[in-house]
Amino acid sequence: MQVKPLQDSRFQAFVLLGPALVVYLVFAVYPMVDVFVLSFQRWNGLDPERAFAGLSNYKYIFTNDPVFWVAFRNTVIWTVLSVIFPPAAGLLLAIGLNQKIFGRGTLRALYYLPVIIAPIAVATMWRWMYDPFFGLFNQMLAAFGLQGLIQDWLGDRNIALYSIFVAYFWQQVGFSMVLFLAGLQGVSQTLVEAARIDGAGRFQVFRYVTLPALRVTTTIVLVLSLINSLKAFDIVYGMTGGGPAQSTQMLALWAFTQSMQIFDFGRGGAISVVLLVITIAIVVPYLRWMQRRDTGE
Amino acid sequence: MSTTTAPASATVADAGYGSARRRDPVLIGLWISLVLVAVVWIAPFVFIVFTSLKTTGDVMTTGAFTPPATVHYQNYENAWARGDFSTTFTNSVIITFIKVPLGLFISAMAAYALARMRIIWGKLILLIILFGTMIPFQVMLAPIFTVVNSFGLIDTYPGIILPYLAFGVPYQVFILHGFFSVIPRELSEAARIDGASDITIFRRIFLPASIPVLAALLILDFVNTWNEFAMALVILQDAGMWTLPLGLMSFQGQFSNDYGQLNAAIVMTVLPATIVYLIFQRYFVSGLMSGAVKG
Repeated sequence: MQVKPLQDSRFQAFVLLGPALVVYLVFAVYPMVDVFVLSFQRWNGLDPERAFAGLSNYKYIFTNDPVFWVAFRNTVIWTVLSVIFPPAAGLLLAIGLNQKIFGRGTLRALYYLPVIIAPIAVATMWRWMYDPFFGLFNQMLAAFGLQGLIQDWLGDRNIALYSIFVAYFWQQVGFSMVLFLAGLQGVSQTLVEAARIDGAGRFQVFRYVTLPALRVTTTIVLVLSLINSLKAFDIVYGMTGGGPAQSTQMLALWAFTQSMQIFDFGRGGAISVVLLVITIAIVVPYLRWMQRRDTGE
Repeated sequence: MSTTTAPASATVADAGYGSARRRDPVLIGLWISLVLVAVVWIAPFVFIVFTSLKTTGDVMTTGAFTPPATVHYQNYENAWARGDFSTTFTNSVIITFIKVPLGLFISAMAAYALARMRIIWGKLILLIILFGTMIPFQVMLAPIFTVVNSFGLIDTYPGIILPYLAFGVPYQVFILHGFFSVIPRELSEAARIDGASDITIFRRIFLPASIPVLAALLILDFVNTWNEFAMALVILQDAGMWTLPLGLMSFQGQFSNDYGQLNAAIVMTVLPATIVYLIFQRYFVSGLMSGAVKG
């Protein structure tokens, strides 16, 4: 490498790295910075001037905006549910499908199928299945003589959020499953055999060999599930749009609504910043943990 | 990493549960429950396909899992015309077919530079890019709109392709950087002694060597781009520029009572990604695995 003139090598690095870096900085990093700036301004998205507004946007969303706290609460509930249920079910499926059983390739493919369906199509599908009159759920309840359980799944503000979550769960389980399957392949079979020879039963092998070996995978699955849960924009937008009466409103969707539909980019920006700060607070320690793991090995 | 684990898994399973355990009752119970859950898992698809082939009258009078008495193909024709699928389909094809290869190419170049060349602040640049894999863009749709708007690119193909590229770069650089870092030095040293430049080494040695990884990323990215909704929603406002997901959303809004056609629209939106997935399933899963879990 020392043979080459420095100038030439620098030029080549520029050619290779330039396009990706420029596009990334302009269209991904800049908006991230801009959202912080916007949150201290008053702007309708059209005016040439963006007036400085101090902390008024934050003050508004924290004290005067009733929807913000509903959205905040829903986002927390949604995130907690997303970190518990899809990974747990994914782990169970992965353990089952890691055994040598008939047709496991097909079964894996089936469980994974919903993951590749467009979230907006999932929303449309499930909206139809939740249809109060002809939808799948109410039809089946009626068929089994359980009329008492028939609900307006997306129209009742007490259950709408959970109805959406069921659709989301259906879509996400395959994702956790695949990651756990990958993790299970890293479990040392020598250890499993050794434990068996020592007389460990199936459950003991799982509890004392498999589960500890899955620690790293589990952390990764949980963090990715958490980040994915913050991306749940399409499915809520498509199923309820935040309704009824804002009962399924979420922070990402509310930020979008404030900016793009009410044309208050400042308040929308402030909501985005809250969400970004929470995300960064989770992501940065995780990245450092990953880095330490990489260099440690 | 994925290439080494795949064959290992087969032998591992063989060794663990060999012929002696073929009739293991626990495994049979497990198999039955897995199949039952799988049936529940695909039931929504069956319901959607059946509904898409029924007339509105049939939808209201027949059971959810009753196959359509007479197959009503017209739903597809009508939905295609009413939902202006020819426009949205074309837009989706144009955007996806430009974005996906272009994005992979620039990511591969950047990953090579960061993995194999001495760059001032290279570590920092890599860190900034990796940071992007963790930030959901759904959080900041408005500022993305603002930046695209400031270039006057709202309702244009470049206006949606550029942010798509930007948010695709981090994950692809992450994967390819990992892959390029472990390619043995001898492979490139020989070419370098012969006087090849970095660009030549990248093009002639690294790019061909990474074809399996590129294939996996290509398929993942195809599905993600094809399905993307939120960013398209803020940037593509003119109906003539809409992609399939936007078209489906609008269809749901306008014709939600035309159950047969609505479900036909769902099937048509979902089908291309499903076909790609079923054909390239193997790559798909290995791509995902190699990215998220380092064995």
